[in-house]
Amino acid sequence: MQLLVVEDDPIIGEQIVAGLTRVGHAARLATTGSEAIRLLREEACDAMVLDRMLPDITGLSVIDHVRREGHATPILMLSALGSVKDRIEGLETGADDYLAKPFDMDELAARVASIARRRGGRSEGARLQVGRLHLDPSGHQAWFRDASIVLNRKQYSLLAHLMRNADRLITRSMLLEGVWGYSFAPTTNIVESNMSRLRTALIGLGCDPIETQRGAGYVLRSERCA
Amino acid sequence: MRLTRVASPSPRVGRLAVRVGIAFAIAMAVVGLIGFIVAERWVTHRIDVSLREHAAKYLALGGGAPVTDAAVAARIEDWQRRKVLSERTYVLFGSDGRRIAGRLDIAVPPPGLSIVRFRGGGVSVQEGRALATRLPSGSLLVVVQRSQAATALRALLPQVVLAISLVASLLGIIATWLFAHVIARRLAVAQRAADAIAAGDLSRRIPTDDLDGMFAAQAEALNRMLDRMEHLVRAQRLFSSNLAHDLRSPLTRLRGTLRDGAACTVDDGRTLATTFERAERECAAIIGIFDALLRLAEIESGQHPTAVGTVALRPLMEDIADTMEPVLADRGGRVTIGRLDDACVQGDADLINQMLVNLLENVATHAPRGTRAELSATRDGDTVVVTVRDDGPGLAPEDRVRVTRPFERGAASTDRRGSGLGLAIVQAIVRFHHGHLALRDAAPGLAVEIRLPQARASV
Repeated sequence: MQLLVVEDDPIIGEQIVAGLTRVGHAARLATTGSEAIRLLREEACDAMVLDRMLPDITGLSVIDHVRREGHATPILMLSALGSVKDRIEGLETGADDYLAKPFDMDELAARVASIARRRGGRSEGARLQVGRLHLDPSGHQAWFRDASIVLNRKQYSLLAHLMRNADRLITRSMLLEGVWGYSFAPTTNIVESNMSRLRTALIGLGCDPIETQRGAGYVLRSERCA
Repeated sequence: MRLTRVASPSPRVGRLAVRVGIAFAIAMAVVGLIGFIVAERWVTHRIDVSLREHAAKYLALGGGAPVTDAAVAARIEDWQRRKVLSERTYVLFGSDGRRIAGRLDIAVPPPGLSIVRFRGGGVSVQEGRALATRLPSGSLLVVVQRSQAATALRALLPQVVLAISLVASLLGIIATWLFAHVIARRLAVAQRAADAIAAGDLSRRIPTDDLDGMFAAQAEALNRMLDRMEHLVRAQRLFSSNLAHDLRSPLTRLRGTLRDGAACTVDDGRTLATTFERAERECAAIIGIFDALLRLAEIESGQHPTAVGTVALRPLMEDIADTMEPVLADRGGRVTIGRLDDACVQGDADLINQMLVNLLENVATHAPRGTRAELSATRDGDTVVVTVRDDGPGLAPEDRVRVTRPFERGAASTDRRGSGLGLAIVQAIVRFHHGHLALRDAAPGLAVEIRLPQARASV
């Protein structure tokens, strides 16, 4: 993917560019808001990582600018302002996701991939089926081939979320936001414990599609659902 | 701490005394004036009464029959002979206006009471009060009394008023100055204490031994405020030092880990990777503390964007039980649901989620393995009691008070993981919802009881 990183701190900017390049993206770096707007005019990009506080104009006004010029570029906003209020403000201005500093590079990469794909279409209401694994919302059941198992609400939503994002890395905090709707960081392994229950349940069906990426998150592999 | 110059306690009385003095003087002048008017009226009244009495005596000369001019004139002549010196005199005018008897040279006054002017001693014009009474014959008997007392009073008026005003001003100024001085001396005590506190001595209080009445009450109120302030400042300092202490441990570990990493040679690839992982874990712990701190501040300062609405507790708590059951099960325990009444509260679902998650995480991290927890919600009048009860070792009574404070952990807590802010955040969330948090002995274990005001379920 072609990415644009807008970050005024040179060290953080370089780290983000290096991190995104490592996972196979091409990233350009802008250190001011006006430079970002100029670069975006020259060449469109698939997604943008935008720092909220820039030396010339704020990240929020960059979003305004970009949207006014008709770019639907998915934007991940980065900020040292980490309160729920700041987050909501960022999302309301038109950012597609919001990540507070200090962040984890894998987290950033996973979220960039996620917002870039979301823009690519694929509605939330898509039929929940990956390979031969599918979900039955009425009975909170997961079906694999001819076997089925009833999941509790959390495990069901967890699996649904992973299936909607099949073959993508989903981090723990993305799951906490997307599945649980929590805006706080729990101190225990809520995600891991629930994930391990889900995996046990799926293994009972003869299907083990969820792959743990150490320290980063989870991927539901579609090829394992065949 | 910034030092402020301590002002010398010189009580400033100044203009206040002068103003009060002037007000006093004006008041006194008004009082003097009123006194004068009352006195003059009284004197006039006395004269009028006396005039009527004497006129009546002359009218009664007829002894039942109508009095004659001759009898009256004779009586006047007789009176003039006997009286050498008198304030009173009599004049009889005939019906044609001619003076029949009496020596006073006045114009014929109208019947009734009036003021007449005459020359006394030939030079000065004097005034007198006159009562003119018509006799049956048509003649006019005039009794005149020179109102010397009233004249004297009137002459006295300006001096008296001026003197009273001056004396009153002086007394007023002196009294005010003394009064203000006394007040200022008392206030100066409070001022000295305030200056000392501003200079950093938080233990200073306003001495109340020499004070009474409103000054004592005020000083006591200020001292109570200072007690509270000192308590808050101490709590703040304790908070800061606890925070620093809590950060010190992960930072020390982080530094040590990084040093270990630096000592690794290229061949130690695997060791280096674990070192970095450990370092990252320590960073995550530090970030966790800051996140929790920000969250606490956000809730306490009301900065949290409140999505306040009617929250049904039953589905929310069932959801929490589903979520946390695997977490406790991984530690050999479990989460069960006890009595769960249908109840709603007016609140922020995200915060209530965090409240319950934090409480169950406390059971998971601070109670021994195998500790079970039970969630329940029971209606009690207008409130709903949400209880998280565990069957662990519980908390000592003194710990129960302590643990809701930031960075305080139970003495028997099995580990020091977590931000140390879990219960402080719970406390803040409970306060945000106008609720009440109580930690009780569940024998065995600990019961955390949260009372929240119940909301009417909206359709």
